[in-house]
Amino acid sequence: MSSLGDRYDDLSAAEQGVSVFIVGLSLLLVIGLVTGGLSPTYFLYLVGLVGMYVLLSFGLNSQWGYAGLINFSVAAFFGLGAYGTALLTASSSPIGVGGSRLFGVIPLTLVGLLVAIVLAIVVAVAIGIPTLRLRADYLAIASLGLAEVVRLLFLNQQEVTNGSAGLRGIPGFFDGWPLLGTFPEAMPGLRFAELEVSIPGLFSTRILGFTLGTPFWQALLNVALVFALAGGVYLVLRRAHRSPWGRVLRTIRSDEDLAEALGKNTYAFKMQAFVLGSVIMALGGVFYAHLNLFVSPGDLEPINTFYVWIAVILGGSGSNRGAMFGGFVVIAIREGTRFLGDVLPAAFPVDLPLITSVYATVVSNIASTRLLAVGVLIIVVMRFRPQGVLPPQRELIWPQSVADSSGPGETNPRETVTEDAAASAHADPDSVDEGGERDE
Amino acid sequence: MSILEFVANGLVFSSIIVLASIGLSLVYSIADFANFAHGDTMTVGAYTALVTFGVTGPIASGVLGLPVGFFIAIVAGVVLAAVVAVVTHRIIYEPLDIDSIGLLITSIGVAFVYRSVIRLGFGSGTNEFGIPLQRPIEALLPFGIRMTVHDVAILCSAAVLVVGLHLLLQYTDLGRKMRATADNPSLARVSGIRTRRVELWTWVIGAGLAGAGGVFLGLYQNVAPRMGFDILLVVFAAVILGGIGSVYGAMAGGFLIGMINQMMPILPNFGREVPFVPESFAIPIGIEYANAVAFLIMVAVLLLRPSGIAGGEAT
Repeated sequence: MSSLGDRYDDLSAAEQGVSVFIVGLSLLLVIGLVTGGLSPTYFLYLVGLVGMYVLLSFGLNSQWGYAGLINFSVAAFFGLGAYGTALLTASSSPIGVGGSRLFGVIPLTLVGLLVAIVLAIVVAVAIGIPTLRLRADYLAIASLGLAEVVRLLFLNQQEVTNGSAGLRGIPGFFDGWPLLGTFPEAMPGLRFAELEVSIPGLFSTRILGFTLGTPFWQALLNVALVFALAGGVYLVLRRAHRSPWGRVLRTIRSDEDLAEALGKNTYAFKMQAFVLGSVIMALGGVFYAHLNLFVSPGDLEPINTFYVWIAVILGGSGSNRGAMFGGFVVIAIREGTRFLGDVLPAAFPVDLPLITSVYATVVSNIASTRLLAVGVLIIVVMRFRPQGVLPPQRELIWPQSVADSSGPGETNPRETVTEDAAASAHADPDSVDEGGERDE
Repeated sequence: MSILEFVANGLVFSSIIVLASIGLSLVYSIADFANFAHGDTMTVGAYTALVTFGVTGPIASGVLGLPVGFFIAIVAGVVLAAVVAVVTHRIIYEPLDIDSIGLLITSIGVAFVYRSVIRLGFGSGTNEFGIPLQRPIEALLPFGIRMTVHDVAILCSAAVLVVGLHLLLQYTDLGRKMRATADNPSLARVSGIRTRRVELWTWVIGAGLAGAGGVFLGLYQNVAPRMGFDILLVVFAAVILGGIGSVYGAMAGGFLIGMINQMMPILPNFGREVPFVPESFAIPIGIEYANAVAFLIMVAVLLLRPSGIAGGEAT
């Protein structure tokens, strides 16, 4: 245990806080599982959603965190991924292909995945061409517009997308795969008998008491899929960001003129980062379609984009660990408020003139409260910790160079990147202007 | 419906977009960031007017089919939108030590706070001003134009505000200082202009115009928590078309985008008339794609003339 304690001391204050937070929330979830307040299948669904947000945050991270591209169409690329695979595989799709395999060999979901990736690449290039040469805020506005166009298309092209009714009857991702396709049905059901635990004289409670059947195994398979996707993406990104390519991106983010002066084609690098991030977001969408088994234009609402933004800026722009933490927090906000709405008493316990009525309004409009929480969180993070809770440190540097330095502390290479980020955050407004003029 | 009627609708809608885009452009040129909370500032103005009008009530006999109480409500909407924007600027934007992109992201948080507070207070449904609907003006019907006096009122009010702003910018001390600050903040500061105060007035004017635009939008359609955000994209398209940061560009861009937006029904089957496109791929473009078309125009402008109509001249 002492080594665990040492490692804990090794962490920065923020890292310690995050560790404590995660351990605490995990304990709460475990308690929920054991006491039967949270069903294992729903728990796995939540884990799947966290994994999906981690994927989306990874995607945004390679655009915003590394290259400084401000993309407000996360929901659109997510939607392209989800609809790309759903249009092909869903039973209610107007343009779907019947059966679960193409030519009886290739699983249809695999084709759906490819379609989603191709769609994301095409759209990312189309939006990148006019905007990536210009001031950063043009991309922000144009991408928000793109998101709206994509949403309107999916909403209004009823003969192709089924319109506002959405697409139902999407198969699980592994349908039609050899072995994995029949895994959930083949697994035996597990019964956990209800137990009574008591400390005599103090308390007694009932725990467990549930059955793990086909839905559970199906959910487990989904979690395995999202872990595989997120793990694969993480490895690719870590390798990419430590490579010369990633170093150029970080230079572009902190000083684009410098990168250009060094002879780098910044436009090409930004385009590559934009396409890479968009493809990762589409992967998140593909996973969502096969997790939720239903997609609708509502999934493309701009608010979903901003959830991902929260995850990234809260976690720390450019930090993949931060993206994971951010994904975790976003699901806690999204699902937690839902849960709180059911748990909190409808009326404030003490009768105070103003507070009682405000409290009642806040509790009875949980959707608006969630929006308020998201807004306040964005403002608070930007005000007090613009670099995020877990800014990128060790992960951007080859472990070798960290080992060569003086060890953990506040003055080693871990800090160089944060300084980069700080430098870009405090960029001289005049240099921004020059950047803008060069575009014309 | 005749072409003239679309033109008339376009004029009314354009007035609203112009009011909104001037404010956005002013803030863009002086505070130097794309304010995503601008649309929700319009919503604030609309809801303030809704409440005020509920209090003042329809005091009879007004101008252009609008009761006197409604004009009080417009003023209230303008004032509260300005107050909210100034308070936001003081307690949120000013203490921030980040670049324009950081401000942009923060303004999204601000937009969410405005909208969620409105939703908490008024619910997420739509509301209407309690003004009886007007019949179309008889004199215009022979020309195929269905236009109510309310539409004329919107048009006139917007014209008055736009001319007022022009006079302010060109012939007053504040206007000169604003133009100087927008042009070169450091030089303005060195020349003895108190840029902080100018910035504050920019917020007052920009948000005030947004508030007025919001009230008119509420009168033109109805009042809903998402009204401002839904129109934000169109307003951005107008500002980019005009050239970011240019007030006169924003007027021109707002006018064009507003007209195009309302002209959409002229091309219900545009896709079918485009050559070389197979019949089955033709996209019938209806009014539901009006916002999408605004976006496409914006992208086209970015490709061809990124500095917009006004060519990047500040204010």
